[in-house]
Amino acid sequence: MTASTAQPHSASAANDRRQAPMRGPLVRRSSREGFKVNWWLTALMLVASLTILLPLYFTVAMALKSADQIGTGTGLAWPLPMNWNNFAEAYVATNFPKAFLSTAFVTVFSVLGALASSSLVAYAIVRNWHRKFFRGSFVYLLSAMFIPFPVIILPLIKQTALLGLDNPGGVIFLHVLGGISFNTLLYIAFVRSIPVELEESARMDGATTWQVFRKIIFPLLAPMNATVGIFAFLGSWNDFLLPQMMIADPALQTLPVVQMLFQGEFNTDYSLAFASYLMAMAPTLVVYILAQRWVLSGVMRGAVK
Amino acid sequence: MTAVLPSRRLLLKAAGISCTAALLPLSACATSSPAQQKGVTQLRFMQNKPEVVAYFNQVIKDFEALNPDIHVVQDFNEGNFVPSLVRNDPPDVVTRGFAQATADFTRKGVFADLSDLPSAATIDPKVQALVNSWGQYKGETSAIPFSLAGAGVIYNRDIFAQNGVAVPTTWDEFLAACEIFGAAGITPIYGTFKDTWTLQQGAFDYVTGGTVDVEDFFARLYAEGADIREDAPESFSSNFGPALPKILQLTAFTQTGASSKNYADGNAAFGRGQAAMYLQGPWALSELVKANKNIQLGTFPLPATNNPADTKARVNVDMALSITRNTPNRAAAERFVNYLLEPSVVNTFNEKNAAFSPLMNAPAVGNPQISGLAAYVAEGRYYQGAGTYFPPSVPLGNYIQSFVYNRNAGQFLRDLDAEWRRVAERTAV
Repeated sequence: MTASTAQPHSASAANDRRQAPMRGPLVRRSSREGFKVNWWLTALMLVASLTILLPLYFTVAMALKSADQIGTGTGLAWPLPMNWNNFAEAYVATNFPKAFLSTAFVTVFSVLGALASSSLVAYAIVRNWHRKFFRGSFVYLLSAMFIPFPVIILPLIKQTALLGLDNPGGVIFLHVLGGISFNTLLYIAFVRSIPVELEESARMDGATTWQVFRKIIFPLLAPMNATVGIFAFLGSWNDFLLPQMMIADPALQTLPVVQMLFQGEFNTDYSLAFASYLMAMAPTLVVYILAQRWVLSGVMRGAVK
Repeated sequence: MTAVLPSRRLLLKAAGISCTAALLPLSACATSSPAQQKGVTQLRFMQNKPEVVAYFNQVIKDFEALNPDIHVVQDFNEGNFVPSLVRNDPPDVVTRGFAQATADFTRKGVFADLSDLPSAATIDPKVQALVNSWGQYKGETSAIPFSLAGAGVIYNRDIFAQNGVAVPTTWDEFLAACEIFGAAGITPIYGTFKDTWTLQQGAFDYVTGGTVDVEDFFARLYAEGADIREDAPESFSSNFGPALPKILQLTAFTQTGASSKNYADGNAAFGRGQAAMYLQGPWALSELVKANKNIQLGTFPLPATNNPADTKARVNVDMALSITRNTPNRAAAERFVNYLLEPSVVNTFNEKNAAFSPLMNAPAVGNPQISGLAAYVAEGRYYQGAGTYFPPSVPLGNYIQSFVYNRNAGQFLRDLDAEWRRVAERTAV
């Protein structure tokens, strides 16, 4: 969502830059007027950004409230005094480090698995498109997108239990498997645009298929890797249903499931819940801020292809 | 074709064998993975209330100190119960709230018979009967009640005192009290109709529970199965009619705009003293106190007729203990359940959570918030809410909400009969 609000802004900035040199030599204006600000659009973007900032404000304010500050007022007021203790309490109650590690373990390997498996599959399918088997396997993979997940969850649980996969390892396996059809679809569109001539030159130098993939294709896939990686990261980090039903040992449970602790049937501990949500959100937020450039370009690429 | 078949079968077989060979070490490693110390039995204890995790952690600590050969792991992720059954690896000890959904497991024999446990003999037979009323497996005791929640009308003691209103004991007195509050400019009842379950749990269950013999009605209805007709003596149309005008009388005393308020709004508003009465169970008490530390609360059962002897409280078995049938740790699980049902553990829990202890000689309830229900619970003058008898596939709350809005009692009853028939036809074996 953050991406979509920032995107038009950067696009308009690029527009301005493109027009600036054209206008420059004709009418000599001061540099200040060269960057003409579209105030209407800016105002619109400011309002639009509230859709992100306001909920975020509520989350932070709520996380800092004590029990008796929650029910009072409109909810917009900043809590004074701030109750930093909520974070410590939520940290202890969820056994945060353990749940965090478990979630991180699942996420990291889900992302790596998604990148490795889908790119290999896509490469194999595209370069063997003239063979019936590969075209068929493409349709086979795509058909998985039409099966609603809740329909197959109980048989899957039975199956994974038989295989000894009722643990985070099984969640990773299913994350990779679940994403393979969509991710392959993305990759295939991208691999098609890579000219075969690039490969042929490598072949001339004696590269094997694996070397071609590893040294030529995979690096060229970088923008699509970013897209797939981001989707896989978000899907895996925020997943609730699969870990909730798959992981048998409560000690290995992931953050979104452990956070249910604060929501009883009739009682919700809002301040602790939001403190814990913020802590769980932090890595995603940090990754986004650091990787903003790739996130944006990645999202746009996914949109066009 | 005939020549190809055997070789294909052989191929499949070979693939199957190689697959199992590859997976064997995996599963072997999984079964031995739980860190089992020598001679220590590990019990998994799945309980259904995330808000009491801390209490049970303390209980488990005390239990382990007395029983060093048992290690108990607490799990509050109730969503994992069905998957654990599918995996054939359910937790050893389970607590669940008792209603239609849990009874499904009980009737299929998921839980072991606990009638021989020494602690089973200490339970009030009236409370045990509530659990058993949902259906038993071969006459066994599949669950032992641990906590009994009594619900009624929560009232603000200060507002009652300021207006000189006493706790009503008849329906007319109740209406008169509402009139007095209305005349004084105080909202008599705070309504939260946006959350349909609050209408179901409150107005619907309280009025029907006080005017209809709910348990008997549903026993007859279940016996009738899918053959139910509107004019049959077992139908909703034939039994619930007289109760419905009272529901409308009651909801007429709620504040304007009740249809846009939800449970959380209601807790905040009632906590701030914006109404005299609130149709909620004991689970709301802690939320009300959270909103206002100094609020003085009490609870009385809604008198739904003009005969005080008819007045009953709504109860539900909020937590009942079960041991799963195929647990390999039966002996250890029984020791843990016996410990949980020791008076010091079970009574303390219920005292802390504004609930009633299921023990035969439970101490008198000191909590003024629920003491108004104590006599009714002790005498067994209670019912389990009519709404809890419905299978989850009937959207009862929505039907009640539309009945409260468009006040068409005939339509409401016809809908209930039709819904009941629809589900009964579908689930009939």
